[in-house]
Amino acid sequence: MTCDVKVKDRVGTINPIFTCQPAGAQFASIGIKDCIGIVHGGQGCVMFVRLLISQHLKESFEIASSSVHEDGAVFGACGRVEEGIDVLLARYPNIRVIPIITTCSTEVIGDDVDGVVTKLEEGLLKEKYADRDIQLLAIHTPSFVGSMVTGYDVAVRDFVKKFAKKGEPNDKINLITGWVNPGDVKELKHLLAEMDIDATVLFEIESFDSPMMPDGSAVSHGNTTIEDLADTANAKATIALNRYEGGKAAQYLEKTFDIPTIIGPTPIGIRNTDSFLHNLKALTGKPIPPSLVRERGVALDALTDLTHMFLADKKVAIYGNPDLVIGLAEFCLDLEMKPVLLLLGDDNASYVDDPRIKALRDNVDYGMEIITNADFWDLENRIKNEGLKLDLILGHSKGRFISIDYDIPMVRVGFPTYDRAGLYRHPVVGYGGAIWLVEQMANALFTDMEHKKNKEWLLNVW
Amino acid sequence: MPYHEFECSKVIPERKQHAVIKGAGEDLTSCLPKGYLNTIPGTISERGCAYCGAKHVIGTPMKDVIHISHGPVGCTYDTWQTKRYISDNNNFQLKYTFATDVKEKHIVFGAEKVLKQNIIEAFKAFPEIKRMTIYQTCATALIGDDIEAVAQEVMDEMPEVDIFVCNSPGFAGPSQSGGHHKINIAWLNQKVGTLEPKITSDYVINYVGEYNIQGDQEVMLDYFHRMGIQVLSTFTGNSSYDDLRGMHRAHLNVLECARSAEYICDELRARYGIPRLDIDGFGFEALGNSLKKVGLFFGIEDRAQAIIDEETAKWKPQLDWYKERLRDKKVCLWPGGSKLWHWAHAIQAEMGVKVVSVYTKFGHQGDMEKGISRCGEGALAIDDPNELENQEAMRMLKPDVIFTGKRPGEVAKKMRVPYLNAHAYHNGPYKGFEGWVRFARDIYNAIYSPIYQLSGLDISKDEIAADKGFVTRRMLSDAGLSDEIKSSPILTEYTGKYDSVTDLRAKTYPEFERKTAASAAE
Repeated sequence: MTCDVKVKDRVGTINPIFTCQPAGAQFASIGIKDCIGIVHGGQGCVMFVRLLISQHLKESFEIASSSVHEDGAVFGACGRVEEGIDVLLARYPNIRVIPIITTCSTEVIGDDVDGVVTKLEEGLLKEKYADRDIQLLAIHTPSFVGSMVTGYDVAVRDFVKKFAKKGEPNDKINLITGWVNPGDVKELKHLLAEMDIDATVLFEIESFDSPMMPDGSAVSHGNTTIEDLADTANAKATIALNRYEGGKAAQYLEKTFDIPTIIGPTPIGIRNTDSFLHNLKALTGKPIPPSLVRERGVALDALTDLTHMFLADKKVAIYGNPDLVIGLAEFCLDLEMKPVLLLLGDDNASYVDDPRIKALRDNVDYGMEIITNADFWDLENRIKNEGLKLDLILGHSKGRFISIDYDIPMVRVGFPTYDRAGLYRHPVVGYGGAIWLVEQMANALFTDMEHKKNKEWLLNVW
Repeated sequence: MPYHEFECSKVIPERKQHAVIKGAGEDLTSCLPKGYLNTIPGTISERGCAYCGAKHVIGTPMKDVIHISHGPVGCTYDTWQTKRYISDNNNFQLKYTFATDVKEKHIVFGAEKVLKQNIIEAFKAFPEIKRMTIYQTCATALIGDDIEAVAQEVMDEMPEVDIFVCNSPGFAGPSQSGGHHKINIAWLNQKVGTLEPKITSDYVINYVGEYNIQGDQEVMLDYFHRMGIQVLSTFTGNSSYDDLRGMHRAHLNVLECARSAEYICDELRARYGIPRLDIDGFGFEALGNSLKKVGLFFGIEDRAQAIIDEETAKWKPQLDWYKERLRDKKVCLWPGGSKLWHWAHAIQAEMGVKVVSVYTKFGHQGDMEKGISRCGEGALAIDDPNELENQEAMRMLKPDVIFTGKRPGEVAKKMRVPYLNAHAYHNGPYKGFEGWVRFARDIYNAIYSPIYQLSGLDISKDEIAADKGFVTRRMLSDAGLSDEIKSSPILTEYTGKYDSVTDLRAKTYPEFERKTAASAAE
C-alpha cells in the first residue's frame, strides 16, 4: 500500500472543484487599495465571481466589466475596455490601479489589451487624467488555461512586476500569503509581530472582516497599497507561503532584485508553522521568542487532548487549492489521521514533482490516492460505487452535498465556505490555525457520533 | 421626461435617460426610462450574461437532466449552487453540474471530440438519467464548434437518450435576458412536439415562466391540482424534460414570469394556437384573480373560488397582522426583471409598505412600464443600476428595507439597510397565500430586527440605555399601535412550518369526473 499520484481518468468535469483563471485574478485584485479591476469579457465572468467571493466573505467590493456584447465578439472589443476605464476613472476619483483581466472570449478573439494599456497611457491618461497617477496593467488569464489557482498566481506576479521598483533597502520581508482568509492574515501578522518582524503583506485582506458602523459608512477593501507593492523590490527577503499561489511573484523578485527567497511550506499545523518561524529567523536573524514557545504549547496541549483518543486512523478526503490540501494532509498525518484521498482540481503538471508530494509517496504506508485535474465525481464515485469509506471530509462548500448525501462529517475549509458562518474570520495557518482546525475536526466527529449514535456515550467522561 | 440624474453619473450623460422619478400626475407617456440597451462598460452594472440567462435561469431548473456547459469550467462552477430552484427528485439539478473542461489545445484544434467524450462519460456516470441539455459558452461559440451535430451523432448511436442544445454564449445580448429568449425559442424549435403526453383531464395547461424557487411551483401546482387541472409541464422549475416536450398539447399556457418566458408562449400561440394567460402567484388579490381567470377559461370558477375562500380565511388574518406593523415602511424593490411589477402594487396594497424605488437589472421597457404604473408618486425607477447609483439612491431615499440580490445586499448591510433576497428569497416560498404571509413575515423580521437598532448607536457619543437587557421585535413594531390592534383576537403571527413545501409532495387530490367519454379517450 502506497501513495499514488494519478490524473483523473475522464476528460470531462462533473462538479468542478475550481473555477477558472479570471476568478483568481479578481480575488487578488480586491486585496489592493484603490484598485478596481476591469474584467474583459462577458458580464457573467464578473457578476458571478463577485457573487462567489461575496458569498464567502459576506462582504461586497468592486470589480468592473467591459461588458462585451455580440458586436465586440465579432469586431473586437478593445474599445469596450477603453470606454470602461474612462467611466471607472471618471466616477471613482480615488482609483489608482486598474488591472485589465482577460477571459476566454477576449483571448480567443485576440484583443490586444497590452496595446490598450499603451494607448491609454499615451492618450486618455495624459489628456483627461493628467492630474492623477493612474496605473494600468494587463493580466492575461484565459479561462481555458490553468485554474483559479494559476489565475491568482499570475495576477500576484503581474502586480508585483508592474510596481516593484528598486530603491532604498527597507529592512522588511515580503510575505506573500497565497489565497487565504482575513483570519489567516491576522494570524500571520500576529506571528510576525511576536517575532518583531516588519513585513509587507501581499495582500492585506484582513480588513475584509469589516464592521457595520453607526453612520453606515463602512466599506470593505484590501489595504495593500501601490507603495507597498513598489517596496517589495527593496525587501531583505521574501517568503511565499504557498508554492502555487504567489510563488511566481516570489521567483520574479528573487530573479530581478536578487532577494533571498523561500517558497513554502504552507504553515498549516505545528510542524509547518515551526518551519515558517525557522525561515523567518533564518532570513531576519530575529530569534523565536518565548511567547511563541508558549503559544505553540497551548496548541500542542489542545492537539494532545484529541489525537490518539479521537483522531487516530480516521480516514480523510481533502480537496481544494493545492497548497492548502497538501498542508492539511501533512497536519492530518501528524495528528495520526489517514488522509486517503487528495483531490487537486487542475491539470498542473508540476504537482507530481512537488517535494511534499514526493515525501508522501516515499513515506505513506497505507493506500493514499492523489488525483490531479480532479473533480467532485472523483470523490463521490469512489464513495458511491467503489466502496471508499471516509470518516471526514475537508474542503470547501461546493462539495457540501457529498457530505450531506453520504452522511460523512465535513469541516469546511478553503474557498469558498459560504455554507458555514464566519469561517473567513478564522485562521488555518499558524498555531492558532492548528488549534482551530483540530477542534473543528474533533467537534465535527463528535456531532457525527451523536447524530449516528455511534459510541456517543464515549463523550460522557471526556 | 422627469429623468433623474445621479450625481455619481453626471460624467456619463447617457445614464440620465435610465432613471426617472415619478412626479405628480405623471404616467408612462411622460415617465419611462430607457431599457435593455447595451451596458455602458465600467459602470459596475449588476447584469449577468446570456449564458447564465439560458442555462442558469431557465435550463437548469429542469430536474431530471444532465446539464453540460461546453466550455472551460468557470461558467459551470460560477453558476452552480447560487440559486434555490429545488425539485421533488432530491434536487439532482442543484447537486450536479457538468463542464466539458475545454482547455487550450481544444481552443486551437476544436472541442467537438472532447464534447462527445463528455456526453458519453456523463451518461455513463448517471445511467438512470437519459436526458441532457448542452449549453454553448463564449469560448466554444467563438471557435465555432457544431454542438448540434455532435449531439445528433450521440443520439443516433444511443437511441435511448435525448439531447437539447442551447446556443447562447455569454456575449449574446446586453444581459441575461438575451439568453432567456434564445433558450425559449431553441426549446420550442427542437423539443416541443417530439413526445405525445398522456392527457388525463379536461383542463390542461402548461405553467410557464416559473422556476420553483424555494418551492413556488409546488405551491401553485397544489392549487391547479385542487381545481382538477392537469399541468402538462412547468417551464421549467421542477419539471421533467420529457414533460416539456409535450407542451404543444396544452389548452392554455399560464404565464408567470413574462420577462423570461413570454417568447415560448407567444410562439406556442402562433404555431399551435394555444392561448396565453398571464397570471401572478404573488399577493392575495393578484393570485385570487389569477386562479379565477384560469377557472373562467375552463368554466370552473367555482373551484377557484373555493380555494380562494379557504386560503383567504386561513391566511388573511396573519397577513393583516404584518400589514398593521409594516404600514408606510419604505421599500426599495430592486430585483432582476419581473418582480418589480409582480410585487410593486401587491406589497403596497396588501402589506401597507411604500415602494420608494424600483429597479431592474435586465428588464425591458415593458417591465418598467408595468412597474412604474404600479408605483406611487415620488418613486425612483432605475434601469440597469450600478453600484454608485444604488448607494446614492439609498442615501437619498433612506429605505427601511431593500429587496435585492445577495451581493448588493451586502452593500445595503454596510449602509445599515436590512435586505431580503429578491431572487432566491430568505425563507420562502413567497408564492401562494401562505407564501405571501411568509414574505410579510420576512419583511417584518428584517425591519424590526433589534440588531439594526443597535447598529445605529455610536457608543462613543450616544446615550446608552444601560437598563435594557434586550428588545424584542414586538417592542419595536407595536410601540405606535392601538390597543385594539395589539390585542386583536383575529390577527395572528405566521403559524406555518419552517418547511411549507415538502408536505405538498405527499398530498392526494380528488378525482374530478370528466365531461365526455370522447375527451376522456383523448
